[in-house]
Amino acid sequence: MANQKKYWKGIEQVEKTPEFLIQQENEFAQELPIDEFLNTDAAKDNAASRRDFLKFLGFTTAAATLAACEAPIVKSVPYLIKPEEITPGKANWYASAYYDGHDYCDVLIKTREGRPIKIEGNKKSKFTKGGVNARVHASVLSLYDSARIKGPVANKKDYDWESIDNTVIQKLNAAANAGKQITIVTSTVVSPATNKVISDFATKYPTTKHITYDAISYSAIADANEKTFGNRVIPSYDFSKANVIVSFAADFLGNWLSSTEYASQYAQARKVSERKDLSLHVQLETNLSLTGSNADKRFSFKPADLKIALVSLYNSIAQANGVSGVSVKETEFDVQIKEIASALISAKGKSLIVCGINDIHMQLVCNEINKLLGNYSNTIDLNTPLHLKKGKDSDIASLVEDMKAGNVGIVLFYNTNPVYTLPKSFDFENNLKNVDFKISFADRLDETAALCDVVCPDSHPFESWNDALPKAGYFAITQPVINPLFNTRQAQDSLLKWAGSEISYYDYLKKYWQENIFTKQTEYTLFDSFWVNSLQQGVFYPLAAEPVNDVLSQAQVATGVEQATFSINDSLIALANSASKENFDLVLYEKISIGNGQQANNPWLQELPDPISKVTWDNYITMSPLQMKSLGLNVLQGEQQMADVVKVSVNGESIELPVVAQPGQKMGTIGIALGYGRKNAGKTANHLGVNVYPFAVYENGTIQYILQNVSVSASVGKYQIASTQTHHTMMGRAIVKETTLHDYVNDPASGNEKATVTVKKGRETEKIEVDKISLWQGYESLGHLWNLSIDLNACIGCGACAISCHAENNVPVVGKDEIRRTRDMFWMRIDRYYSSDAEEGNLSEMEIASENPEVVFQPVMCQHCNNAPCETVCPVIATSHSTEGLNQMTYNRCVGTRYCANNCPYKVRRFNWFNYFKDEKFVGFNPSMDDLSRMVLNPDVVVRSRGVIEKCSMCVQRIQEGKLNAKLENRELNDGEIQTACSQSCPTNAIVFGDINNPNTEVRKRKDDERSYLLLEEVGIRPNVFYQTKVRNKQHKA
Amino acid sequence: MILDKNKKDNNYMKELVKCFLSHGKINVVKPVLFAALCLISAVTFSQEGEKLFKQNCASCHALTDKKMVGPGLKGITEKRSEEWLLKWTKNSAEFISSGDADAKAIFEEFNKIPMPPFALSDDEIKAIFSYVKSPDQKTAQAATGNAAATVTTAVNEPTPETTGGMNLTSIIILIVVGLMLILALIVRANANKIIQNQTGGVVASGGILANNKKIFAVLFIVLALFGLKGLWDTLFNIGVAQGYQPVQPIKFSHKVHVAQNKISCNYCHTGARNGKVAGIPPASTCMNCHKYVSEGPLTGTVEIAKIYKALDYNTETQTYGNNPQPIEWVRVHNLPDHAYFNHAQHVSVGKVECQTCHGPIQEMDEAKQFSPLTMGWCVECHRTTEVKMEGNSYYTKLHDKLRNKYKGQPITVDKMGGLDCSKCHY
Repeated sequence: MANQKKYWKGIEQVEKTPEFLIQQENEFAQELPIDEFLNTDAAKDNAASRRDFLKFLGFTTAAATLAACEAPIVKSVPYLIKPEEITPGKANWYASAYYDGHDYCDVLIKTREGRPIKIEGNKKSKFTKGGVNARVHASVLSLYDSARIKGPVANKKDYDWESIDNTVIQKLNAAANAGKQITIVTSTVVSPATNKVISDFATKYPTTKHITYDAISYSAIADANEKTFGNRVIPSYDFSKANVIVSFAADFLGNWLSSTEYASQYAQARKVSERKDLSLHVQLETNLSLTGSNADKRFSFKPADLKIALVSLYNSIAQANGVSGVSVKETEFDVQIKEIASALISAKGKSLIVCGINDIHMQLVCNEINKLLGNYSNTIDLNTPLHLKKGKDSDIASLVEDMKAGNVGIVLFYNTNPVYTLPKSFDFENNLKNVDFKISFADRLDETAALCDVVCPDSHPFESWNDALPKAGYFAITQPVINPLFNTRQAQDSLLKWAGSEISYYDYLKKYWQENIFTKQTEYTLFDSFWVNSLQQGVFYPLAAEPVNDVLSQAQVATGVEQATFSINDSLIALANSASKENFDLVLYEKISIGNGQQANNPWLQELPDPISKVTWDNYITMSPLQMKSLGLNVLQGEQQMADVVKVSVNGESIELPVVAQPGQKMGTIGIALGYGRKNAGKTANHLGVNVYPFAVYENGTIQYILQNVSVSASVGKYQIASTQTHHTMMGRAIVKETTLHDYVNDPASGNEKATVTVKKGRETEKIEVDKISLWQGYESLGHLWNLSIDLNACIGCGACAISCHAENNVPVVGKDEIRRTRDMFWMRIDRYYSSDAEEGNLSEMEIASENPEVVFQPVMCQHCNNAPCETVCPVIATSHSTEGLNQMTYNRCVGTRYCANNCPYKVRRFNWFNYFKDEKFVGFNPSMDDLSRMVLNPDVVVRSRGVIEKCSMCVQRIQEGKLNAKLENRELNDGEIQTACSQSCPTNAIVFGDINNPNTEVRKRKDDERSYLLLEEVGIRPNVFYQTKVRNKQHKA
Repeated sequence: MILDKNKKDNNYMKELVKCFLSHGKINVVKPVLFAALCLISAVTFSQEGEKLFKQNCASCHALTDKKMVGPGLKGITEKRSEEWLLKWTKNSAEFISSGDADAKAIFEEFNKIPMPPFALSDDEIKAIFSYVKSPDQKTAQAATGNAAATVTTAVNEPTPETTGGMNLTSIIILIVVGLMLILALIVRANANKIIQNQTGGVVASGGILANNKKIFAVLFIVLALFGLKGLWDTLFNIGVAQGYQPVQPIKFSHKVHVAQNKISCNYCHTGARNGKVAGIPPASTCMNCHKYVSEGPLTGTVEIAKIYKALDYNTETQTYGNNPQPIEWVRVHNLPDHAYFNHAQHVSVGKVECQTCHGPIQEMDEAKQFSPLTMGWCVECHRTTEVKMEGNSYYTKLHDKLRNKYKGQPITVDKMGGLDCSKCHY
């Protein structure tokens, strides 16, 4: 009892008086004078202090335990006036179209009690056909981004809309009266109504100029078509009709143009079980892209050699058509080019050449080759142009000139961030200072908005009304699914207001549709019913083909415009003369996850590993492992391995980045991803990686992302890289089964040899198939038996499923540090394996991927084994088997021994090392750590706490919901009605979910297919997930 | 959904609901007059005028001078002539268009809501107004407020369930054992005395404890066992809130609404049939009836006023203001977050009565947690309840297979995976 005060403190603590709570906050505001205290005589005399401490400890523990026994009072606040369409606990789905200036998808948005929580593809869409890429899946989290500004900002201070409007209108009038240019800079605008708003604005302020500029430019394609056909359009490509696809560095499955659309087309041509045939896909590129890793044949070239290869290809095809080519130097790859040419010629009219390099000469030659092959009107449709990526680089260049000359009075930025994305040579930041008044519609104070006088935040696409015309004749409507979270206003509303119109954009949009789109159909006689139906469907397709104003005639398509305006030979000669320079070539590329960097502050996307390198949370230099060895750089990855940092210099600019070994990267070249190094995007993204947009150069009227004469220094430091997969090859095991088209046609089961075991029968030994014997009795599933089928031939590794799974199942984001400790929480991962040239058996050599490897992707989630090894080792029966074949995980039972994870042959069980949802360590990137981002959580799925194992549940919440709906509607369950998050979001339909006990389901058909196999079948644990052999279009086994 | 012990009443209620759903097969004019139905069902009718008034008028008119949808009727017979009243009642619209100034003024005053025409004879209308002129004070209250006659019983406090570690039986056993021990001690003491008297010597002098070691040992063991049992039960009851009956911000009585006024559970708890949660009804649902029923016999008036306050509803002008304040109810049934429960599965598919889990909710003035809501309780029900598969096509194929497997045995929920962990935990 030496110090009574301690007891009082204990009681206050139990009672949690407000004073105590405040005091508790301040307890360590000043450093405790421990040393001082211990040195005093009083402390030495205080013999009872230890006992007092124990008493205090015991008392508080007991008191706290007693206090914890009392259950908290839970308040329930119902709606005062319940919206008719909402049933609490039931999801509402709304059709919409997502477009953020970069990605476009027709989507369905799942809302719970008014909160959007999940994106799915709109299967009614004829454009994206239900496909949604990873970035659009993740956009639902960007909606709840707390880095968004909460209302209009002027000179870094918060303002109200009225005073902002007054200032802006005054400035606009002044600029218009003074005859100064008012420039609206936007990324491609796909909304016809928005375009009309802009033209109305231009009518009011006649000095207005609208400039379209895409952060990652496709200007050369449109420019080339203007030259060849007299029409500045990007055509529709149809990869499903092409038997031979040759891509010159076009990453059409990953990011190129309308990749979500192309992925589903591509997959159609790869359905080997139905067609007994495959398209042939040849990729020629420098970096190893997602598309290149899916190619049947991939060649890696230095950028200059790519140009020469294109000319040689032209020559070969031109000769076959009786047209003369140009002379080009002989190279080592002439033989392969001739082979490609002959494959193309034999598939005339059913082939396709695409080029992903923003170089007008290459695009012009591509057009010529496609013309010679008769691909126009077959695989390429010029009369149904794509309206995405309409930007023209020369426009932004001339804007910079105008800014320099001081001609620009006012500039408005909508969906664009040129200070961040423009090449250094434009010196945009400085030139912007010459503009009198700058307005941004950005949703955050990004690099451009931070330099603007006024920021009028645009609402998120999920809070907005809009329409879209991504492709001629493919209309769609965007509808809001949540009230604006902040005091934001749609940019269209702002523009309308400033143009003196009192009408809201919603009414404007409806009026626009009544006048322009309602007239394109005959089904509905009343506009209101047409509008409601279009809203409900999300998309609208006029019956008759959209009459494009300047339709190209067949003859025009066949010949192009008169050759007088340009000569293809000039382009050919320009290309033929290109030569590799000394030093390195640098190719800037776009990542699946981060894209152009617009959604960089999205932690789901930052943590999504790059499909090829498997590196998360960074951009880095990709380099061939052989080259790295010669430069003395570390090629290994992993927790203990530090990556070497090197200095990259070009055109007087230099940056430092870590180097990652990338098999398939051409020797003498390096690659760096765009979209990183954001300065003002938010806590997650800021200062992550380095911005390499400034490296891009403006040449020949386009922005080019390939640089020559790049010097790379020796190692200047070490850096920690986080990667989710640190091994590269299958080490000779049959994890992914493969065959060739040739073998497959002869024997559909080729490459899919059943695993056998040797058993003893009397004195004889006998080999029998694994599925014929078992230690276990087995269990007969009378009702449903859920199975998941994964077609390795259709999987392109895009990662949409992984993000979809994150959103559906509240999977935590753990951050770079934890990933480095191999503590990632992905319920489904996509393994990537390279092929190795080493001999079988030489394990250390086998782990080294070959220089130009073949790549396979394999999504792996819990395999839901019927004889699950995890279930038998759990000491508390926290994991068990359901009657419907699911391997169940009961979190509240789990005590965290992790025996199950040890015993799992697939390594799919994830352990919660932390309370990710409330541990301070994860502030800034774990969505659950932020009150706003927490709104994205799926209320039907538990947020797991520390110390428990979690894993794929095969979306049991969706299974239960689907069954209940069937029961309530008194009917049988339909096939395809229940979809897991991964199967629903797969743009190529590689993942199929269903009931294997029903003989009519798609999944049952796949199970009975000769290509189906079980992962690690020889272990005999009989998973409910099965795979299908990958078939490559090759003659012989590699 | 009402499980009434009185079969007849139950049928009567069903009839009423049926009538209500088919929009006025009985002589009501507006489908929203469910409140009126409730009133009718509660009171026995004697007088013709009173009966007619309640059937036709009470939903919009009060017998006092209180304004509802229409004006209060106090003193109306003095204010207007009988002829005027007859004309108005038979067809007010016609009467207004005939140009009567008073009629027009009333029509304007009450937001141009027309009073529907009534096909009543002159005698019937006269009977109504004679009742309006001199209504019995007691029944008048019933017409405007809730059913007064039966509400007086509503104040009975429900008896709380026995909670805590030890139940009644163990306490009784404890007492009996204690008594036996005391008895044994007395017997022993007496026996000792007798022995002492007989032998005349000193037996033992170590006090009661030393003298009765065996008895105290037995006593100690018994008490220790009971103590352990008590501790065991207490630990098992941590987090079990059976009998939980919190005080709610509005004294809503299920008894008044369900037992007395025969309102179906589903009328308010709309989510029970098709959603995960039954749902606390929004205040707008209350207003379906309480727009007209604004007074109650006991605390009703005060409590109903709380709904108006929440919605910022002005009873005089019958308009809603801009300052609504949500009602913060205290949640009675708290399942842990890791347990998923879906009402639709149980109510619509499993055809489980509300009372199976919620107990005699229709008798409760304040809602109380009737069941323990423990996993053992859930599992027990799944083990004993037969699945209602007949008539549901979803089950057809499965039912055949199960019948083959479990020949003759009842097919309970657990036989078709009802005990799988992932049915409730995900």
